[in-house]
Amino acid sequence: MNLKQVSALTKNFETPWFKSFKATWFHQRRRFALSPQQWRKLFTPEGKLQDIVEFLKIIRTDVSIMFLRFVYSGFIYWNTWSYDLIPLISGEFLVQGVDPSIRAEVWPFLLGIKEYENLRSRVRQLSKQGNGEGYSVHLHSDSTTDEAIPNHGEKNDPNYTKNKSVKESNYKAQTAEDFTTSKTSIRLDALRANAEWIAYSPSLATVPEGQARGFADDVGLQDYGNLEPGRIFHAARLVAILEAYALYDPEIGYAQGMCDLLAPIITVMQEDYEAFWCLVGFMRKAHHNFRIDQAGIWRQLDIVSKIIRLKDLDLYRHLKMLGAEDCFFVYRMLVVLFRRELSFEQTLCLWEVMWSNQAALRAGIRELALGQTTLQAPLTDDLLLYAIAACVLQKRKVIIEEYSSMDEILRFCNHMGEQLNIWKLLDQARDLVVTLQDKI
Amino acid sequence: MARRLDEEYDYLFKVVLIGDSGVGKSNLLSRFTRNEFCLESKSTIGVEFATRTLQVEGKTIKAQIWDTAGQERYRAITSAYYRGALGALLVYDVTKPTTFENVSRWLKELRDHADSNIVIMLIGNKTDLKHLRAVATEDAQSYAEKEGLSFIETSALEAINVEKAFQMILAEIYRIISKKTLSSEEPAATSIKEGKTILVSGEANTKKTCCST
Repeated sequence: MNLKQVSALTKNFETPWFKSFKATWFHQRRRFALSPQQWRKLFTPEGKLQDIVEFLKIIRTDVSIMFLRFVYSGFIYWNTWSYDLIPLISGEFLVQGVDPSIRAEVWPFLLGIKEYENLRSRVRQLSKQGNGEGYSVHLHSDSTTDEAIPNHGEKNDPNYTKNKSVKESNYKAQTAEDFTTSKTSIRLDALRANAEWIAYSPSLATVPEGQARGFADDVGLQDYGNLEPGRIFHAARLVAILEAYALYDPEIGYAQGMCDLLAPIITVMQEDYEAFWCLVGFMRKAHHNFRIDQAGIWRQLDIVSKIIRLKDLDLYRHLKMLGAEDCFFVYRMLVVLFRRELSFEQTLCLWEVMWSNQAALRAGIRELALGQTTLQAPLTDDLLLYAIAACVLQKRKVIIEEYSSMDEILRFCNHMGEQLNIWKLLDQARDLVVTLQDKI
Repeated sequence: MARRLDEEYDYLFKVVLIGDSGVGKSNLLSRFTRNEFCLESKSTIGVEFATRTLQVEGKTIKAQIWDTAGQERYRAITSAYYRGALGALLVYDVTKPTTFENVSRWLKELRDHADSNIVIMLIGNKTDLKHLRAVATEDAQSYAEKEGLSFIETSALEAINVEKAFQMILAEIYRIISKKTLSSEEPAATSIKEGKTILVSGEANTKKTCCST
């Protein structure tokens, strides 16, 4: 895809064809994902994978923006590219942000793992030096990792230095007891991880029994009873990576819910060191969900509440009357980013769209503009919060007419999973971003 | 909003399930309210609740059972839900001694955050794992007596004593409520019929030392 093609597509954006198409796309279940073919186009002529985030920083080139637009496909921009992609469609097309076959390649970039290629060989080397706890320690004790991890966003963040020093001082304060407690919780949660990932990673599910048990021994995982080898292996990987993370980020250690975030990552990323760094990238934003003081949670709940108040005063008043205006009833959606409400595939789509927003913002792009169209959706770091608000707003009628206590709303929200359609939710979230972001 | 006929009840009792992570709180709840058990029950994030209406001492009781996250870092969130609870089921895992050792910390939590007259029942869960038992029934029994708690061992997996545990705590709550309403000589029946949660500690917010009568 070159600039010429981009401008041609931008032109198409304003054609009547697009307008008529827009009227129906909302109802379509099928969406276009970033396809392997399109992804391959992001390689340099020499065949080297571009550091996409670094690339974005340099200039808003067609290729980089195209990349983000594809992943951003839950939003308006997918339309532009759909014209180009229509011939590629055949048979069933999954609802997704990124084609599953290239997720493992795309995610590190979305999660801002800078110099991924260099890191790859470096960490691979390190991870070969030991297993189990040794492996965890290697990941942490390597002095270059702080530089190696994706910090471009944080470096621009005035709190970065502060956060970093907090991390360091907390590391010293972390006691052996804290880590032992984390280890116990990690094992407990790893063993009760369910099997929904198996359909997405058959190769991991069929790992030989000897290998699974061997790895479980390496990480000190016992009590797995009659679990199938694939699930023992899955649990052992969760343990290895979460323990490494607990050492790496002692301020958080391990908080329940993190296992939910990691399980999809290890399903996509087959190498543990890659999965670890993706978790690090993910946690850069999700970190405040798991802080002991819960301050980050309350700040985010406050934003959700504000979005609802600005969008729907009647609903807000009803919530206030019930003493539920703090929106605590969406707590779980917030903490584990819809992982408990949405299906495996839908969760990945939401996260990909969310990450693409964050990746673009890290790269200094405020808006993925297409010509002079009025259909621009500003990028936001808080897409999740708009999606949560959209989710509540969708159910305003039920909430106002049928529920007369916060408890009932909480129960309703905890069980609304099956009713959610991620693309509809993202459409509505997008609308909220467009109309309210300036006021929030 | 008018209650449907099948939702008619004499009392609504709020009960909280607390205890360390992984002791089986969510499965005790699902066994009691839906007669279900899930081996892959994930950790509870925040709080959840379920209800079941049943007959206790000839009365129709709607039990609203709150399930809470067990991990310590979520305690600030979950302890807010102790308020208004008439009963607490404090659960440990009979195969994990640390979960029993932590019972005293949970009791302190209740004394700090719950209503002072809350009825507390100690539950040793997972008795189906006989070969792994690590907490003796007698130890838990004597601890419960010392602390003035009722005590029972259960298996949510095999559905042993789960019904009985809930029946016991609801009956105990009912006895306290009816004694209290008798002694206060109020025409309590009418207000109770409203189906509101009744605070044992009543209108007074004065803190009393817990449970011991």
